Amino acid sequence: MLLRITQFELRYRSKRPATYLYFFVMFIVCFFAVVWEQLSIGGATGQVKEDAAAVIMNQSVTMSLIGLFISSAIMGVSILRDFEHKTSAMMFTAPIKKRDYLFGRFLGSFIVLALVLTSIPLGLMLGRLTCELLPPPAGDMERFLPVFHPEFYWQPYFMFILPNAFISGAIFFLSGALSKRLLFVFLQGIGLFSLYLMTRQMVGRLEDRELAALLDPFGLRLSTVISQYWSIAEQNYQMIPWDGLVIQNRLLWIGIGIICMILTYFLFTFTTPSKKQKKKKTSTDGYSSDGVEIPTGMSLAFDGFQIQYQRISALVKLYYREIVLSIPFIGIALFGFIMLAVNSRSMGEVFGTPTFPTTYLILELLTGYFLFFFIIIIFYSGELIWRERDLKVHQIYDTLPIPDAVGLVSKFLAFVLVHATLLLCLIVLGITIQASKGYYNFELGIYFTELFTNTFISLILFTLLTFFVQVIVNNKFLGHGLMILIFIVNIILAEVGVEHTLLRFDSGDLDGYSDMNLYGDSFFKFSWLKAYWFGFTMLLFGLAVAFSVRGTDTIMKTRAKLAGMRFVRPLLIFTIAAVLLFAGTGIYIYYNTTVVNEFAKSDTQEKDQANYEKELKQYQFLNQPKIVENNLHVDIFPKERDYAVEGEYILKNKSKEPISVLHIQSSVDEDLTFEPFEFEMLDSLKQEGEEFKLAQNFERFSYLIYELPRPLMPGDSLRMLFSGKFDTKGFKNGGTNTAVVHNGTFFNNFNFPSIGYNPSFELGSDDDRRKNDLPKKQRQMERTDPQGIMLQDFISDADWIRFDVTMSTSNDQIAIAPGYLQKSWNEGDRRYFHYKMDRPILKFYSMISARYEVMRDYWVRPNGDSVSLEIYYHKGHEYNLDRMMDGMKHSLAYFSEIFSPFQYRQMRIMEFPRYSSFAQSFANTVPFSEGIGFIVDVDDEKDVDIPYYVTSHEVAHQWWAHQVIPANTKGGTMIVESLAQYSALMLMNKHYGPEKMRDFLKEELDRYLGGRSFERKKEMPLVEVENQQYIHYGKGAVIFYALQDYITEDSLNKALRKFIDEWAYAEGPYPTTLNLMEYIYDVTPDSLTSIVKDMFERITFYENKMLKAEMVEQSGQFKVDMTLNTVKMLADSLGNEQPIDLKEWMYVGLYGNGQKGKDSLIYMQKHYFDSDTTQLSISLDSKPTKAIIDPISILIDKHPKDNSKTISVVD
Amino acid sequence: MFHTTYNLQTLNPMQLTIQNLSKTYPNGVQALKNVNLEIPTGMFGLLGPNGAGKSTLMRTIATLQEADEGSIQLGELDVLRQKSEVRKILGYLPQEFGVYPKVPAEILLDHLAVLKGITNSRERKEVVQALLHKTNLYQHRKKNLGGYSGGMKQRFGIAQALLANPRLIIVDEPTAGLDPGERNRFHNLLVELGENAVVILSTHIVDDVKELCTAMAIINHGEILMTGNPIETLKSMEGKVWKKKVNKADLESYKQKYNVISDKMISGSPVIHILNENDPGEGFISTEPNLEDVYFSHIFNHKVPQPA
Repeated sequence: MLLRITQFELRYRSKRPATYLYFFVMFIVCFFAVVWEQLSIGGATGQVKEDAAAVIMNQSVTMSLIGLFISSAIMGVSILRDFEHKTSAMMFTAPIKKRDYLFGRFLGSFIVLALVLTSIPLGLMLGRLTCELLPPPAGDMERFLPVFHPEFYWQPYFMFILPNAFISGAIFFLSGALSKRLLFVFLQGIGLFSLYLMTRQMVGRLEDRELAALLDPFGLRLSTVISQYWSIAEQNYQMIPWDGLVIQNRLLWIGIGIICMILTYFLFTFTTPSKKQKKKKTSTDGYSSDGVEIPTGMSLAFDGFQIQYQRISALVKLYYREIVLSIPFIGIALFGFIMLAVNSRSMGEVFGTPTFPTTYLILELLTGYFLFFFIIIIFYSGELIWRERDLKVHQIYDTLPIPDAVGLVSKFLAFVLVHATLLLCLIVLGITIQASKGYYNFELGIYFTELFTNTFISLILFTLLTFFVQVIVNNKFLGHGLMILIFIVNIILAEVGVEHTLLRFDSGDLDGYSDMNLYGDSFFKFSWLKAYWFGFTMLLFGLAVAFSVRGTDTIMKTRAKLAGMRFVRPLLIFTIAAVLLFAGTGIYIYYNTTVVNEFAKSDTQEKDQANYEKELKQYQFLNQPKIVENNLHVDIFPKERDYAVEGEYILKNKSKEPISVLHIQSSVDEDLTFEPFEFEMLDSLKQEGEEFKLAQNFERFSYLIYELPRPLMPGDSLRMLFSGKFDTKGFKNGGTNTAVVHNGTFFNNFNFPSIGYNPSFELGSDDDRRKNDLPKKQRQMERTDPQGIMLQDFISDADWIRFDVTMSTSNDQIAIAPGYLQKSWNEGDRRYFHYKMDRPILKFYSMISARYEVMRDYWVRPNGDSVSLEIYYHKGHEYNLDRMMDGMKHSLAYFSEIFSPFQYRQMRIMEFPRYSSFAQSFANTVPFSEGIGFIVDVDDEKDVDIPYYVTSHEVAHQWWAHQVIPANTKGGTMIVESLAQYSALMLMNKHYGPEKMRDFLKEELDRYLGGRSFERKKEMPLVEVENQQYIHYGKGAVIFYALQDYITEDSLNKALRKFIDEWAYAEGPYPTTLNLMEYIYDVTPDSLTSIVKDMFERITFYENKMLKAEMVEQSGQFKVDMTLNTVKMLADSLGNEQPIDLKEWMYVGLYGNGQKGKDSLIYMQKHYFDSDTTQLSISLDSKPTKAIIDPISILIDKHPKDNSKTISVVD
Repeated sequence: MFHTTYNLQTLNPMQLTIQNLSKTYPNGVQALKNVNLEIPTGMFGLLGPNGAGKSTLMRTIATLQEADEGSIQLGELDVLRQKSEVRKILGYLPQEFGVYPKVPAEILLDHLAVLKGITNSRERKEVVQALLHKTNLYQHRKKNLGGYSGGMKQRFGIAQALLANPRLIIVDEPTAGLDPGERNRFHNLLVELGENAVVILSTHIVDDVKELCTAMAIINHGEILMTGNPIETLKSMEGKVWKKKVNKADLESYKQKYNVISDKMISGSPVIHILNENDPGEGFISTEPNLEDVYFSHIFNHKVPQPA
């Protein structure tokens, strides 16, 4: 009997389209997660491949979480079905045992569920295999492991997906059986989900991590906790082992599942739910047909706007209800909402500090819903087009006296309403997320602007396209398949070389939103492109109306004949209008993207870069004069997004050889064009009208070679004048420039001509280089390279320059450049600013213009002079101004004290739009993105004070870069970035106290350890860092903090002071880390030299463990006995590790109850370790609770969680 | 706004004229072969076995299907071309149809009334209520159609076909699934409507036609076998139909010997009807011809005297 019921269940499910829909949705999501980079469900990072064991595990478990909804639909509904269909009475009076009924149903449904969930491994696997056939980037096999490992896909299925299905299934089965209402099953799902969210929260706390892993019903936490510190190789090849925590977690939850099953068995009764019994009308009151006459005199209307409107609204209402009330629709919609709600938790964090959930961040989050829209469009377009035929009411509907278009138009409008409903729900969800995070600035205007233009129009376009496909192919499932194909092709188009915006369906989205620059002028391009696509889809819709099936003839010949008959007045006019719109806008778009602007395909660009290197690399180290003075006049036109520049360079031969040719790299930006350059010799032999002959012009690279009228002798100079225009014309095929915008223009000196070959134009990626027959590239020169040490990091055509600039902008904006404001005046509707720097600066300057509010303050030097401080910010972004201002003040004071005096009289921060997320330090000037710092929501208790930290890091660059600039060799960024990190850290240490340092260093350690897995080439030791951010920021911070702890802060600062003293404002040779390390070794005691060497010149790790911590209490004294394990490992650049001798002092700490009941360090001392295992015994006055090695996290340890142990009390 | 008001009383009785209508399906089945019919106002019965081409003919008249050749004229209207005009006066009950399961009958009927052009909500309500009464669905009007039984659904189909005073009513096998009471009620309803409209009723139940129709046609294999008035047709066969109870074993020999138009089992033995001008003897007794005899005699292609 049990088997019979199981069989019945299987047969029933196999006939339900929903079963296939579930499979299809999951399969598609998984498939695209692999194939399509834009869709990520926890995909690969760096050297960890897309099909790495850890990645697949993560994706599988995430998907099984989403599978909850399917589980609730299949498992919960299986028991509810008899009640819903009112067949319960029939079933329950049949001679079926309760056991057979319940377990038969369960087993049948569970088998179906298990089969549906194979969509996860199958989708991922097929995605992986499909990539082999696709062109890059999807088919870039570097993304994958060399060998396909099917076991990576199936192990998570059996370890997590299937048990999760059982657990959730059992719980849903129970709730369905007991409540007999679907709603409760859904609620149950949300409950389980909340438990999962709770464990997510718990994982944040180190102490609770294992408990969280145990309690997580789905195992997502579990797998991340286990694999958190895995190396790249481990992540790639190691599957989660069946041991300890995994077995405990799985047993716990399967046990709970079994208990649910048992409860279901005992608590379930064969009775129908106690719905309020409807009073059954048994009498036939009001029923007397004989006297009734059918009215005949009613007025009928068939034509005219009003009657069509009435009919269409009646139909729209019907179709709308058909969609939104269907269970799969609700399921898909909810499933998407939940996914967004989950994603919102980690939205927009900077260094672990949350940002305010501003509306544009929420909108970015909401774009994740597009996939669900797409599923809904594909699925429900088919349903709607086939609605009448599926229900067999088509013969009735097709004979109704309504025009041919009314049905399709109504279906389309119903769909539009569905989209609008979902968009409104998304807005409500967005606002709820904002409110739940305590943010109440609901910018409804922005919500509506974005969702009801950009998103809405895309949805409409896709809906129209789908309608067309469904109508023409006249086969629902073929239509589904074709649409998915079209969708994929549309994505791949760009990647296979079809990059023209006119050929990519639904192209022309709005640019990202910025509070400062709003949507820029992207509405212009947006409107034209969407009008173009609307014209296209209108045309398709017209055809769809003509070819739509009405009646029972479905062969194409008859449909074509009817279509011809349908092209009468209204449809004909509509179609012609569509064609006109399509063609007209198309021509205008073509004119803008391809005639007015250059249409450059990315592979041409790649070729150009390769050819640049092939033809011009020979000139890289050609002796050239250096720029020593730069005077500029820049007129910025924010409204037109243009600027004009007139500039003067004074070039001086600083070498010992005469120079007879001048190589100029002019602008490669098509928007920026320069007039022919003018020159003048400034040597003693100069004459009027001396000609600089243009010897060679590499137009494709804007690279010009001039012959000087006579060689420029050492020490002599020449003048170069340039005059250029930056002209934003119409719109481009690709994205618009984000540098010159309506509000928040920000560009730098790299726009202007430079001298000599520019190696930064070279192709960087080894793959691209290989494709273009170029050898692998060394990232940087050795530290001993004689040419390298004579060049500055970043800028090779200047050392230090005199700088003067006059800027003008529209009169509502402020224009800012490095230097001190000499004068500001208005002329006509323009506002002028003259800035001048009174000492040489790096040839690295920014030009900024925006509508600003200004916050002013000042800092007084020890000698009594004041330094003015200014923050130029966007109105409304006041949240963190005080933190930034304090950051500037404290930094200037502290760095002046410990390093050297601040070289300028003024320091400024200016906000720029969030098109990029960084802050950058120019001479006395720090542009600071609105995307970081300005909108973070700092909780001093929990979070790192990011605005303060970033500010002090940037201010530190006024020393590390603007006083000491390193040579263009390996290790350069250690001098610039690691020292800026160190400076900021020490300020934070002073300001927030050493206890807080742990939070910082943990973040930085994480950045380093995490960054290692992104490494594309090879990891370098800190002193040889090749501009690798995870090393010079992350590792740099930890190592310098450790260094000052070992050799004392004073000694380190003394060394740095001396380093600055001797190397500040060098003009070549420039310092390298070889030089810096000399100063450091000078102040390092011999006993520590080898440790310092390990830190800086090698890649070392610690593997420290607190094995045992026990405490005995004796008359108010607490004696703690600890057993510790300490290992030091040396790693090579590929990550292969081997242990080395360890003889070091390391901190051991004890936590006890401190103030406010919080844990705090009540003991921290260094102890000496010289063997793997060490016994320690410490006595204290107060009661410790936890023992830890390296409490402030200054040693690089990949498993910091085993560094501590809760102390157990022994009698 | 262009409101067209059709007032039944002011319109002349119409006639449906079908000429040389042929249709062959893509699979080669010739569903209609050169059909010619004149259907006047009133009830017209289209009689034929399953697969005879009734539904094809009905669908073609109901604008659902194209014909290969021929024409259909309804009054002034060319049915095959002026489809939208025809639909304005058409009420159609397909042989097989479904409903929106989650919509109550009253709502769907109202919805269809809107689509049929009854713009005034008060008038619409009156019509809907009246039809619900007429089809005996009034007490179930609030119930979702998904919960309707086969008979109720069929009655709903009838109700929707009668919305908006159709002047051309096409009902394809309307009484299938109705119990005798319902069938009667439906017949009454049709007769009432047939006074002012062309009503085409397709059926394979002979009694439907006998009870209702003033004119009829018999169709088989896509061909019209006979047309005429049921009463007159019966008259022409009067005295020519004979019946006899026979042994089962002898059935074949009787079929060889006589024009057997039907054999029916009555209390376990076949009773045969034969067509013969004179008394064939052999125990045959004369019997009143019924429509079934007419029908079967045509279906089995016997020589039948045509009414004068």
